[in-house]
Amino acid sequence: MKWILFFGALIGLSICGRKRFFGDQVFRINVRNGDEISKLSQLVNSDNLKLNVWKSPSTFGRPMDVLVPSVSLQPVKSFLKSQGLEYSVTIEDLQALLDNEDEEMQHSEGQERSSNNFNYGAYHSLEAIYREMDSIAGDFPELASRVKIGHSFENRPMYVLKFSTAEGRRRRPAIWLNAGIHSREWISQATAIWTARKIVSDYGKDPAITSILEKMDIFLLPVANPDGYVYTQTQNRLWRKTRSHNPGSPCVGADPNRNWNASFAGEGASDNPCSEVYHGPHANSEVEVKSVVDFIQEHGDFKCFIDLHSYSQLLMYPYGYTVKKAADADELDKVARCAAKALASLSGTTYQVGPTCTTVYPASGSSIDWAYDNGIKYAFTFELRDTGHYGFLLPANQIIPTAEETWLGLKTIMEHVRDNLY
Amino acid sequence: MPPSRRPPPASRPGGPRPGVLLAPLLLLALQGVAAAAPAGAGGPEDTPGLQDAELQRGLLQQAARAALHFFNFRAGSPSALRVLAAVLEGRARVNPKKECQVDLVFTTDHYNPEAGEERLGKCSARVFFRNQKPRPAINVTCTRLIEKNKRQQEDYLLYTHMKQLKTPLDIVSIPDSHGHIDPSLRPIWDLAFLGSSYVMWEKTTQFLHYYMAQISSVNQWKTNDDAVDFDYTVLLHEFSTQEIIPCRIHLVWYPGKPLKVKYHCQELQMPEEASGTEESSAVAPTELNNS
Repeated sequence: MKWILFFGALIGLSICGRKRFFGDQVFRINVRNGDEISKLSQLVNSDNLKLNVWKSPSTFGRPMDVLVPSVSLQPVKSFLKSQGLEYSVTIEDLQALLDNEDEEMQHSEGQERSSNNFNYGAYHSLEAIYREMDSIAGDFPELASRVKIGHSFENRPMYVLKFSTAEGRRRRPAIWLNAGIHSREWISQATAIWTARKIVSDYGKDPAITSILEKMDIFLLPVANPDGYVYTQTQNRLWRKTRSHNPGSPCVGADPNRNWNASFAGEGASDNPCSEVYHGPHANSEVEVKSVVDFIQEHGDFKCFIDLHSYSQLLMYPYGYTVKKAADADELDKVARCAAKALASLSGTTYQVGPTCTTVYPASGSSIDWAYDNGIKYAFTFELRDTGHYGFLLPANQIIPTAEETWLGLKTIMEHVRDNLY
Repeated sequence: MPPSRRPPPASRPGGPRPGVLLAPLLLLALQGVAAAAPAGAGGPEDTPGLQDAELQRGLLQQAARAALHFFNFRAGSPSALRVLAAVLEGRARVNPKKECQVDLVFTTDHYNPEAGEERLGKCSARVFFRNQKPRPAINVTCTRLIEKNKRQQEDYLLYTHMKQLKTPLDIVSIPDSHGHIDPSLRPIWDLAFLGSSYVMWEKTTQFLHYYMAQISSVNQWKTNDDAVDFDYTVLLHEFSTQEIIPCRIHLVWYPGKPLKVKYHCQELQMPEEASGTEESSAVAPTELNNS
């Protein structure tokens, strides 16, 4: 009986530090009497065999589980045989089992990461996204809060998630993550809400995001065009613009990414309300755009603005409204290339990098051009997956892979901002 | 010969189609390229070298897309569709009429992601863009990606699957809003893409290119003893205008034989221009006779 206590209960095995267990096996040894226990204690206590008891029997008749390193398999087997101890091998290769488990965990970790079972691998309604934002803020009240920054043309709330570790109301340099400004680009909103959950889940665990949040705040707007998004769900899946009314025209909406005050109504936009790139009657005419502009200007200390779009797999920086090179183009280009490389490292998804105007086409009144011209140096546009096969209608099973790889790109940019605050 | 389309309306202040304004930049860059002039000669401000390279790359990609649409259409095989992998090299020349000839070499991949082996096909093409007029003239040859017999087998297999589909097809759109295509309906998508390739070839210019976004309706689906008669409406996504162009397409496909296509695209509605410039009936149906 003392022997049993002597063993102690070394239950479970720590895998911190990522030790490897190739070829190691777990033996289940039958323990029938005190005599057998004393024989086993010899075995277990021998230093050079390096056995690790997983489960020691609390009564006779219960087996003992022991982890046997591969180098010790032969001597242990010989010993057990010579002592007449019965055993069976319950785990033939511990490393293989751990690898398998890891895979499974990652898989389901990606699938459902919140307690109320919001499936991140699916597209959701506006209400569901807003509810999940609220849920994230509720799950991590010290870190995240849902903030209303305005409303849409049809009077829907515009919510951002604010991630901040700052004490009280102290204002820190900030990063703006914009998504869903073009409503039909569903992978954008989906990636954004995944990213929100990722930020709160990884804070305190991942050194990168932890250190970023120690120095800066992050504001995430997953649905920058709520009216358009609802319209794509109810009426027209391929709707792009806002749903504002244009007096005197049967056509609805303006392109919110031609409506910012950066060479407004210049090259690469249309003055025809029926056009998909109609810039609107004047800069910031779209309340959705104005809400963001007002918030950012009032805050006054944004250092980074990233706009998520689809599709084409591009990572771009200013300018769209001119071929003239931005003053910081060289630095932005380097950062973008680094980010694209990090993104590609996950699944091989390749992005082209360059200034908007020559990489895709001229576009005036765009969000990142406005941000850049207003002192927000680190301004980037992501055009997410794919390159035209499914286009806007990206299958839901690509949401998580896209979000995961994009996260690596986002982190690269945010880390650079953190290390180059101005 | 299809009737030629009327050119787009003249630029209006503040509201020209984005592609139009790219033209002068393109020309300047290309003249630099063709004459091998030193960087900066006649080019726009700052770093003409970088801009030239970017514009050149854009033009080569345009040419590759047009060539591939044409190739896919001519091959007439929904199981052997190809997609652009990478442009390897190319050269462009612009004549005084602003027409643009592009010679290029590019690699291709299987269109269908489930097609398995990752062999890259290689193509060389000459593409002649007629300023802003559609229907670029194309000469293209590609190395074989799939062995001919295998391709015919796959096509015939596809055809037998299509015959088994229950008509009338109870579909609203393919893919659905969530990007899902039922595996049993995948052959329809591939066949529709084949027909759309013809349309996308004809519509591509050096400034405009297309992707097939969605089949918005299937109007008729008939499988006779040896042919598929398919009447559908497809939504094309147009770059760089971002417009969605509905096109009604009627095709007849005999496995192993050239594709027959008729189509009619609804052009951009511009109520302001009620004087009837770019209206929906601008394009008369185009009959294709493959002899």
